[in-house]
Amino acid sequence: MIYLNNAATSYPKPSCVKEAVQACLEDVPASQFRGGMQIGKKDIEEACRERLGRLLGISEYSRIYFTSGATEALNTVLGGLLLDGEILVTQTEHNSVLRPVRNLLSAQKLEMKVIPCEKDGRITLAALESSVTSRTRAIVVNHCSNVTGCIQDMDMVGRFAEKHGLIFIADVSQSAGCIPIDAEKWGADALVFTGHKSLMGIQGTGGFYIRPGLRLIPLKFGGTGTDSAKLVYENDDYEYEPGTHNLPGITALYAGVGFILETGVEIIHKKERNLMEILYEELERIPGIQVYGNKETCRGPVLSMNFTGLSPSDSAYILGDTYGITVRAGLHCSPLIHQAMGTGARGTVRVSVSWFTTEEEIRSFIKAAEEIAESLTGVF
Amino acid sequence: MKIVEKTESREKCAEAGWFAWDCLLDHKINREFILSLKPLGGFVYLDMLRQPFFKIENDYYMIKGIEGNNYFRIAVHGKHQEYLEKIEEFVNTEKQNSL
Repeated sequence: MIYLNNAATSYPKPSCVKEAVQACLEDVPASQFRGGMQIGKKDIEEACRERLGRLLGISEYSRIYFTSGATEALNTVLGGLLLDGEILVTQTEHNSVLRPVRNLLSAQKLEMKVIPCEKDGRITLAALESSVTSRTRAIVVNHCSNVTGCIQDMDMVGRFAEKHGLIFIADVSQSAGCIPIDAEKWGADALVFTGHKSLMGIQGTGGFYIRPGLRLIPLKFGGTGTDSAKLVYENDDYEYEPGTHNLPGITALYAGVGFILETGVEIIHKKERNLMEILYEELERIPGIQVYGNKETCRGPVLSMNFTGLSPSDSAYILGDTYGITVRAGLHCSPLIHQAMGTGARGTVRVSVSWFTTEEEIRSFIKAAEEIAESLTGVF
Repeated sequence: MKIVEKTESREKCAEAGWFAWDCLLDHKINREFILSLKPLGGFVYLDMLRQPFFKIENDYYMIKGIEGNNYFRIAVHGKHQEYLEKIEEFVNTEKQNSL
């Protein structure tokens, strides 16, 4: 089996991640703050925050909070800011942004305005400037498109947000762990990540960072292990991680981020770019295959394509069942970008790599794609 | 030919807007079986592929599979789930006749 669906969730995971989870499950549960047994042991949550801070360019890493994933993180951030007026979202956004905005925020009298993107998913300064009004309060930008792999110029977005006094929310779900990120340099007010993609953690992990001074009402309230007698938060001294923590998940994330820091995100990015360049170059020369995006702007580990005359879902079915190659078909939960790409009705076949993908696997995929395209030549 | 087991597809996004089931058959799919499905709707049979692919599609349901496998997929539109049973009945009957 060749797994090229890493944009959905990465597979395989580094062995250190598997070992860390096993060790966590075998360890005595950390009854936080309730005894001397844990003295001398490093708090895995804090250690994980520190590692994430190093990777994501966040010096105040204590303001990184864990959630069940990017979806919960985005619901927390978007719902908790209590905005009014307009919020800008790019046409490349995932439903984890679009649906909270459309469904939650209508109750807050907040309107969603979509910033149009180019065919490859790129957002231009002109598009940003033409979307902003005096009512605009915030902007959400997907760093790396999960459909085309287009990487946005986040420095440009940060300057734009600062110029117009907007809250800048960066979604790095697709880029964290495989593309360099510097939240503070970008001027991001909030940043959302998932743990199970390029951060190499397991499903059910993710989180968000929120800069000091930004008011955020929690999405969830509950036990936190601190001052149990207090029932109401005063002076906005909120806590964002109620309930028992997902310690095996956070441990996996700690190990995954450690693996990335040790390997080097630049090295990971370079290796994945090389694989993607092979894909672009080889697929573009095959008649009967349309590749969306280009290797200049789409430098993330994701590529969208289609076979002439074959629906994306049929293509993925054939690739999976005849060749044993797992890809993903459809809109990829990002419906709006397909309007720009011209793939609105059925979407695309998405191919996505990870650090563990080999050139041999990429060559096998190209061979299979060529065989399918050749077979279809003249049929449609 | 009979459907011996069917499970809801885990690829919930693969057939957007449709509910898909993967059906396990008691025999491998052959050309004869594929052709026997032709009356069910718009018929696509790509027999030039390494393993021929087939698809039957109309407004209410979709059937797709690959020759040589012992399973195929049925997807029904959300409002027309009754077709799942009808197709199953058709497949089971047709297969017994054609085998």
